[in-house]
Amino acid sequence: MIQPRRKRHTGWWLLLAAAVVLAGIAFAIMWRPALAPQAAPPSFDQTSIARGANLARLGMCASCHTPDLARPFAGDKPMETPFGTVHSTNITPDLNTGIGAWSPEAFTRSMREGVSRDGHLLYPAFPYNHYARMTQADIDDLYAYFMTRPAIDSPARDNAMTFPFGFRPLIAFWNVLYLDDTPWQPDPQQSAEWNRGAYLADAVAHCAACHTPRTKLGGPDVKRQLDGGEAEDWYAPALNRNSPSPLPWTRAQLQAYLRSGIALDHAVAGGPMQDVVMHLAQADEADVAALAAWTHSHLAQAPVRRTPAQQDGPLPPPAADDPDLQRMRLGYALYANSCARCHDAGRDQTSGTALPLQKAIALYDPDPRSLLYIVDDGILPPDGEPARWMPGFRAILDDEQAGALAAYLRKYGAGQPAWPGLDKAVSKARAP
Amino acid sequence: MTTYRLQVNGKPHAVDTDPDTPLLYVMRNELALNGAKFGCGLGQCGSCTVLLDGQPVMSCMVPVSVVGARMVRTVEGLGDARTPNVLQQAFIDEQAAQCGYCIAGMIMQATALLEKNPAPTDAQIRAHMSPNLCRCGTHMRILRAVRRAADVLAKGGKR
Amino acid sequence: MSADPARRRFLAAGGALTLSFAMPAWSAPGALPKSLDKTPWLDAWIRIDANEAITVFTGKAELGQGIKTALLQVAADELRVLPSRLRLVTADTARTPDEGITAGSNSMKDSGTALRHAAGQVRARLSELAAKRLNVPAASLAMKDGAFVAPDGRRISFGQLVTGQELHMKATPEPAPPAPGPKTAIGKSLPRIDIPAKVTGGTAYVQDLRLPGMVHARVVRPPSPHAQLLAVDSAAVTRLPGVLKVVRDGRFLAVIVEGEYRAVKAAAALARAARWDTLAALPVHPTVEALIRSQPAEALPILERGAPGAQGRRLAATYTRPFQLHASIGPSCAVAQLKDGRYTVWTHAQGVFPLRTALAELLAVKEDTVHCIHAEGSGCYGHNGADDVAADAALLARALPGRPVRVQWMREEEHAWEPFGAAMVAQVAATLGPDGRIADWQYDVFTPAHNTRPGKAGNLLAATHLARPFTPPVPKPSPQPEGSGDRNAIPYYVMPNARVVHHFQPTPVLRTSALRGLGAYCNVFAIESFMDELARTANLDPVAFRLKHLDDPRALDVVKLAASKFGWDGYRRTARRGRGFAFARYKNLASYCALAVEVEVARETGLVHIVRAISAVDCGEIVSPDGVRNQIEGGIVQSASWTLLEQVRYDAERVLTVDWASYPILRFAQAPDKVKVHLIDRPGQPFLGTGEAAQGPAAAAIANAVFDACGLRMRDLPLDRSRVRKA
Repeated sequence: MIQPRRKRHTGWWLLLAAAVVLAGIAFAIMWRPALAPQAAPPSFDQTSIARGANLARLGMCASCHTPDLARPFAGDKPMETPFGTVHSTNITPDLNTGIGAWSPEAFTRSMREGVSRDGHLLYPAFPYNHYARMTQADIDDLYAYFMTRPAIDSPARDNAMTFPFGFRPLIAFWNVLYLDDTPWQPDPQQSAEWNRGAYLADAVAHCAACHTPRTKLGGPDVKRQLDGGEAEDWYAPALNRNSPSPLPWTRAQLQAYLRSGIALDHAVAGGPMQDVVMHLAQADEADVAALAAWTHSHLAQAPVRRTPAQQDGPLPPPAADDPDLQRMRLGYALYANSCARCHDAGRDQTSGTALPLQKAIALYDPDPRSLLYIVDDGILPPDGEPARWMPGFRAILDDEQAGALAAYLRKYGAGQPAWPGLDKAVSKARAP
Repeated sequence: MTTYRLQVNGKPHAVDTDPDTPLLYVMRNELALNGAKFGCGLGQCGSCTVLLDGQPVMSCMVPVSVVGARMVRTVEGLGDARTPNVLQQAFIDEQAAQCGYCIAGMIMQATALLEKNPAPTDAQIRAHMSPNLCRCGTHMRILRAVRRAADVLAKGGKR
Repeated sequence: MSADPARRRFLAAGGALTLSFAMPAWSAPGALPKSLDKTPWLDAWIRIDANEAITVFTGKAELGQGIKTALLQVAADELRVLPSRLRLVTADTARTPDEGITAGSNSMKDSGTALRHAAGQVRARLSELAAKRLNVPAASLAMKDGAFVAPDGRRISFGQLVTGQELHMKATPEPAPPAPGPKTAIGKSLPRIDIPAKVTGGTAYVQDLRLPGMVHARVVRPPSPHAQLLAVDSAAVTRLPGVLKVVRDGRFLAVIVEGEYRAVKAAAALARAARWDTLAALPVHPTVEALIRSQPAEALPILERGAPGAQGRRLAATYTRPFQLHASIGPSCAVAQLKDGRYTVWTHAQGVFPLRTALAELLAVKEDTVHCIHAEGSGCYGHNGADDVAADAALLARALPGRPVRVQWMREEEHAWEPFGAAMVAQVAATLGPDGRIADWQYDVFTPAHNTRPGKAGNLLAATHLARPFTPPVPKPSPQPEGSGDRNAIPYYVMPNARVVHHFQPTPVLRTSALRGLGAYCNVFAIESFMDELARTANLDPVAFRLKHLDDPRALDVVKLAASKFGWDGYRRTARRGRGFAFARYKNLASYCALAVEVEVARETGLVHIVRAISAVDCGEIVSPDGVRNQIEGGIVQSASWTLLEQVRYDAERVLTVDWASYPILRFAQAPDKVKVHLIDRPGQPFLGTGEAAQGPAAAAIANAVFDACGLRMRDLPLDRSRVRKA
């Protein structure tokens, strides 16, 4: 049957109209105006700068923006994401290559909306989806701090994004899904200290950025707050009732850990957490105490379990009827010959405070990566600062040995079911 | 005591020792090699650095029982006082030593770099050598010696 | 203060200058130079065998400062042979002269001078003998390759001339006439004779000694200085594989084992089997200054010039230095054997003769039954654990006679038990006159002992832990001009009125002894920082200010040279960078060192990066230019480590800085971008020690540069990252 020509025309026009409307909406979502450059920043008062300094510590800004200790906030740190490699930018007040020409409005917009002064969208590797909930006063203090740092010339490096994520306007859609800038609200049922901790954890220190799992699109999985996530390919454990810690955390342990990276006989910060701890060590003590209070309130919900951590003493050899006896024997020998010297006999005389391994949280993680990285890379102090030290075994143990050791420790150290895909994880951790 | 068969500087050795004996002690005692030195026994200073299948390791942290068939190389395997290799000669030419205790470890650490990256930048040399400590302050000469060896190798000098 | 003018005679020979040796300014006329005065026999220093072997003996020890090579150069030059013709025997109580301790940058001054003098007189004696044998005038003889050559070509070698006791004669005070022909060895940079073995795994250190039947021992030290041993259940330990003996004497606890790693494990087991009463007995104060000021002190004035009360602008400041470590990269080691009633001890102690005296007292034997032989250790930078481990080895050799016992200190042991560099507080006040000159100066330095070296058994660690312990002798300050804690406390500058007081603290809080430079490190840091503060107050350039206050031409020369090579006058400060200057003459009588430093400061991270360090050094007549450069470069970099990173930390119970993690030192990442040493050679001038000349100036130049870069005046060492961040 021949269609009336009129109807065919209407179908096409409707589609076109819809496309135009959608394009209009998309454009409206993706496009942001440039804000006028500001020649010289106004002066700032010392207390604002001091508060800003503290907030910069709590916000971990240097983690991404200071890869080179000699050039604070000059940026240029490459960060691997599932969408490509992003390089951090220069946030010193350099006029040409930094934020020297940014007005307070431009700075605020970048913190709350992830938009650069000239209108381009910033990748959410920059955790603006957390900073969005900072108070204006805090953002102003941070502005005062950054605008009074020495300017360093450091041009932004091109990112290496997988197609199509190099097209920045697409980030706008991510923002639609994940950018929640409702101002943070205190919980009237909780203490002032807890609320301070809650605010700092969410809006400033952005703990959830690592400790909450992400969706496939890289946004926070809000239904699984603090259920465990990852940072720089390390597994960041759950901080809620699913905490893998074999012994319950006390408030005092957590506070010591956050300030120094060591909770005696309980945990040692490794990997990216070391940087967190270094920042918190330089932040206001009461603020860190508040963070500890808030974090502890979540960790305390983890049920107390019976684990080998409750017993002292060296780890046992494998049972004679172990189905994987050969491998477990190898793992046990490696433990006895490589690890026990520090982790069993104890090295009180050194600064290592090596943990008896049945207490090591990494053994109880659902994911073996943190353990593998600790074994391979060790735990090293920041340049030129006194701290704890564990040497790395990457070149000492081959892949088979590393896998056997991890498998043995998982079973006979933690008493947990085997990690699936362990061998693959070992090779992946060691891939250059 | 167990017998371990080791490949050290291209030669096979059989040593009888406890499985947890660090390779450093085996080299110094059973094999009477002087190069790798006891500096800390904690993996913090690099005086004991040797190569294991081409990778630098702190031999004080390597139990002899994990070495297996992998190739151990020490400074003795690079050359001797009569015929030092390019890198050793570079250290002599730059007089890159004061007490000299850290130097064998430095040379092995540098060897690993030059074998993987024969044309390193100065920044790469510095970063690569960081695990090794020198207490006498010979850092500048050590860096110059590695640079000198790299330059010789770049010009086609024999390793 | 200026040196006496040297007498110089010039002889043109073959187009080269030869210069006579000038008497050191400090020896009395008609007296033998130091070291020779104690051992005047020429053949105690130089021995010539019939087979042409020439052996040189020195009481000094190679510490990695290149002294073996330099001394060979001195002797070789006087004998007009190549250094490779000579064999050198160092520090051995049975074979070499007693030259006390290798320290204080005195090796060239004492041993070098003695060898030069003795070798010169040996040559003169040989020349006489050759002249007789060849029947020609001595002045007509040339010298070549260990032989004298007559004008007609006839030769007679050293070995042919010495058939009996020809060289057994005492040195005389007058130096020998100059050697004929061009210099063969002094003034050139000779490759060090010890380096080839060190880069190829040759035998080089006491740690490399492997004697037949040698066993290994480890000491289990108390968990803290004041801990008492309550009980030790050693039964299980004695049954461990390889264990030969557990030794306990009071709180000296050790285990002797066949197999080195078994010794390490047995010691760990022994440590677990011991119960200690750990007393919280160390005084804890919030700052170093509070600690030092709390200690009783004897006020010893060391300078009183003019009168106080000058009018003008007054400035005052206090500078502090914490306890710091030698932290030798190779922990101390010794081997000892008791055989047929004689002890042989292989040791890297700086003084084998004083060690022998102390060991004899410790073991209650006669000195001539103890033979101490120096073998190199890693750099010691002063009084580290070397003497203590020799005592450990001797005691354990006594416990197992016949077997050589090797004791290797563990890293934690070296860090916790070595004698520390002493904490110091330096208080300065000065008045600037209207002409911008210093009109008045008051300097007070408070510090415990900087010298507790053995001679006495009580200065050996193990001796103080025995059931019948030896008591450490009450330490004494060393008199000026050498000084100890007050070394370099007297400024080298011209000041009409000045008072310097050394507040010596005899009661130790922690065990302290000589660390490279002794008091000079902190005193020069304080004085040179304060000179900078004064210069800025007077609105004068820091270099110009110093030039204004110096009258020694050699001091003026090094200051000007360093400033010029740095580009001081044309310097333009760029963001986060600054420059600093410092000058000192070590002990006010040894080497001159001026240093200009540029740093870049990152306040947010606390990182101080040294961009360049440009120095100028005058050490008298230079024996080995490269040797001097190596020592100064090393001194600058090591001092940068002390200045930017290092402090001993302890709590009420124990020392906490027990490894490289808790006591970080400079790594390659933080080494300067550039270090340059410019030398001023003074041929004919006495040799001046350089090993310690750079420590103090480097600290001050860095601190002054930090101030220039970011306005932070840091007066408390170290200028570590957390302090720079907090300031």
